[in-house]
Amino acid sequence: MTPTVSASGLSLRYGGTRALDDVSLRLSTGVTGLLGPNGAGKTTLLRVLATAVPADRGAFTVLGHDPGTSRGRQELRRNLGYLPQTPGFHPDFTAFEFVDYVAILKEHTDRAARHREVRRVLDEAGLGDVRGRRIRKLSGGMRQRVALAAALVGDPAFLVLDEPTVGLDPEQRMRFRELIARAGEGRTVLLSTHQTEDVAMLCHRVVVLAEGTVRFDGTPAELTARAADRVWSSAERDPGAKAGWRTGLGTFRNVGDPPAGADLLEPTLEDGYLLTLDGADTEVTA
Amino acid sequence: MTAATETPAAVTAVPRASGAAVIALARFETRRLLLRAPVLAAFAVYIGWTVWRTRTSWDGFPALQDADRATQGGPLLVGLAVLFCANHAVLRSRRHDTDRHLDVLVVQPWRRTVAHLLSVAAAALLTGVCVAGQFTWEALKPGAVGHGSPGELLAGPLSVLVLGTIGVLLARLLTSPFAAPLLIVLLFFLHTVATAPDNGHTVRWLVLTVGENTATTLPSDLLGRPAAWHALYLTGLALTAALLAVLVSGGARLRTVRAGVVGAVALTLVGAVAQGQGVSRETTEARVRASAAPEKEQKCAERDGTTYCVFPEWTVRTDDWAEAVAGVRSLAGGAARDRPLLVRQRIEARYGLDGDAAIAPATRPGQVTVGTAWGGNRVPEFTAAVAGVLVAGTEAKAGAMCDGRMVTVMWMALAGRPDPVADLRRVRLDDSDRGSAIVLSQTEPLRMTAAQTELVRELLRRPEREVAAKVKAEWAGLTAPKVTSDQVAALLGLDEPEEKDECL
Repeated sequence: MTPTVSASGLSLRYGGTRALDDVSLRLSTGVTGLLGPNGAGKTTLLRVLATAVPADRGAFTVLGHDPGTSRGRQELRRNLGYLPQTPGFHPDFTAFEFVDYVAILKEHTDRAARHREVRRVLDEAGLGDVRGRRIRKLSGGMRQRVALAAALVGDPAFLVLDEPTVGLDPEQRMRFRELIARAGEGRTVLLSTHQTEDVAMLCHRVVVLAEGTVRFDGTPAELTARAADRVWSSAERDPGAKAGWRTGLGTFRNVGDPPAGADLLEPTLEDGYLLTLDGADTEVTA
Repeated sequence: MTAATETPAAVTAVPRASGAAVIALARFETRRLLLRAPVLAAFAVYIGWTVWRTRTSWDGFPALQDADRATQGGPLLVGLAVLFCANHAVLRSRRHDTDRHLDVLVVQPWRRTVAHLLSVAAAALLTGVCVAGQFTWEALKPGAVGHGSPGELLAGPLSVLVLGTIGVLLARLLTSPFAAPLLIVLLFFLHTVATAPDNGHTVRWLVLTVGENTATTLPSDLLGRPAAWHALYLTGLALTAALLAVLVSGGARLRTVRAGVVGAVALTLVGAVAQGQGVSRETTEARVRASAAPEKEQKCAERDGTTYCVFPEWTVRTDDWAEAVAGVRSLAGGAARDRPLLVRQRIEARYGLDGDAAIAPATRPGQVTVGTAWGGNRVPEFTAAVAGVLVAGTEAKAGAMCDGRMVTVMWMALAGRPDPVADLRRVRLDDSDRGSAIVLSQTEPLRMTAAQTELVRELLRRPEREVAAKVKAEWAGLTAPKVTSDQVAALLGLDEPEEKDECL
């Protein structure tokens, strides 16, 4: 399959900090999850791919368009939907006006067709009933869906979502998962998240980033498999475990190298993720 | 029966439609700008004030060379509101932290700036429609004379454009929301300083709209206002601010924008220098001719034994003057009834529009001075002058009159008016109908004693036909020099006045 996004050797420094270090990726249709601890470079990578900041080194293309040239950057942006982390809103705009505004900035110039498209994406985001409501009066979850609707305008081939489910309650998160799953049908979605459940439920592929480098690139099953035979249960926290915590059953779930005869458990994606980060100079946020 | 729902297909953007996107965005921003409360309020006040004022302006007899200037004040209010709201709109993305999102969309920031500038242009265009409406209203009044200047009419809309573009530029230079209010205060201060009376012509014309210190109406070719150059100067200012705003928001790579900035600055300088040249020698000479020897510039026409010599722009007003003269003449007796009169329009144009200068009374027998304004108080002032000349022989003699003849003069001037007592009050400097007073005139004012006022008031209360018969019958006695108020009362069958008979 021809990849939608092809990146090689992307590197970026902020002052003395290495935010991205030789990142190479190939993304194709479907939802790809981007996991990593705080400061891993996830947002930076997304901003580079969304053409918000240029990389110091390396190159990438989206649908063959090279953002290194002015024309290529414009063509790339025509095929891009971007939902930034904690997106800003114009609170005195209605949901319809805000998405309409974004649609104009995406060069949807025919008024009637644009308004049809705005209604379509708002309906798709489940906001059809509140499209005339001012954004300041919408809940956090609804605002987030407005931002997603704005990203979906024009049916972009490449959708970049930066932690879209942060701060949402479980019901809102479920709604969002539905939306993202639908969005991933027929287009390439790169989803940055801290939520391993989101990745497990939505993604056909997962990339783990730490310290600006790619630590894992494969399917969720492959990431989970990294923890095979490395998760066990014990009555007390095992001091040899990389991570361990008391479960609701009162026993401890340990991740790491189990002692002989340990009571092995079925691994999860999160276990694989934690073990992938092991050794990185990062805090394991389990 | 089953109902099938169908998800509408996504609409994709038309490739390379940035120009059309700017237009679409400009429409979006225009709608939002025009619906902002300060702009709506400013337009409401401006339009309301304009309608209220234009209904009665110049008493229905406007000179269009004044009416064009009168369109310039109101738009400044709109301009300040547009400055504030356009600035606010440009800062919107930064204020709500949407820049990082919007900057990766297809329409680049400099094109978004262009859209904001176009929304400002739309507000200026709407102001232009209001200005055109106001001026057309004045021009359609039956008593309208003269010519408007396109340069003067453009000043209002261009002021809105300049202020709006400055608002956009300011937002691109300073991200503080307090910058625009502070700039508005600064503009007020600069306007006050620049238009101070002791400032020269060059400095005065650097502000957006330049008013005048006089209510004098001059023929349009004597105004000496560099309106066209000022319009060029304002256009240059607006273009400079607009192109600089595009430049600082990322359009710097466009060679045309950089060249445009240079061109706009040049345009501004050309306009500023040209408008600062002062009044041309030709205009100054024409002003002297029109003031000292108006007969060389005027056209004359005769109506019912009276000759009317007026500047070409006022020929349409001859019928109004003739009607007023005929009304006064019909009340006169003796030889005065058929005395030939020359009504000459006279102006003092040598000082231009910088101040009001008095016109000396005419010494030629039978000559009456008429000014460039008409309607309202100007009508009884004129009829008083006509009556004064019919009684005293010349304007100079009428001005020096301090005897009972004033009773006849004032009764003749006012008797034919719809509300003569109200006009008596209006034509007197102190707006009273009792006591002694100065009576306003185009030239030398007349003077009434308290006794004369009492008699005039009494005469105006009586039927016009009855009084007219007595006046005609006693004309010689009533118009004899040095006749006293008591004698006048006796001749007209009135009680002796109780009040004093002393001129001011």
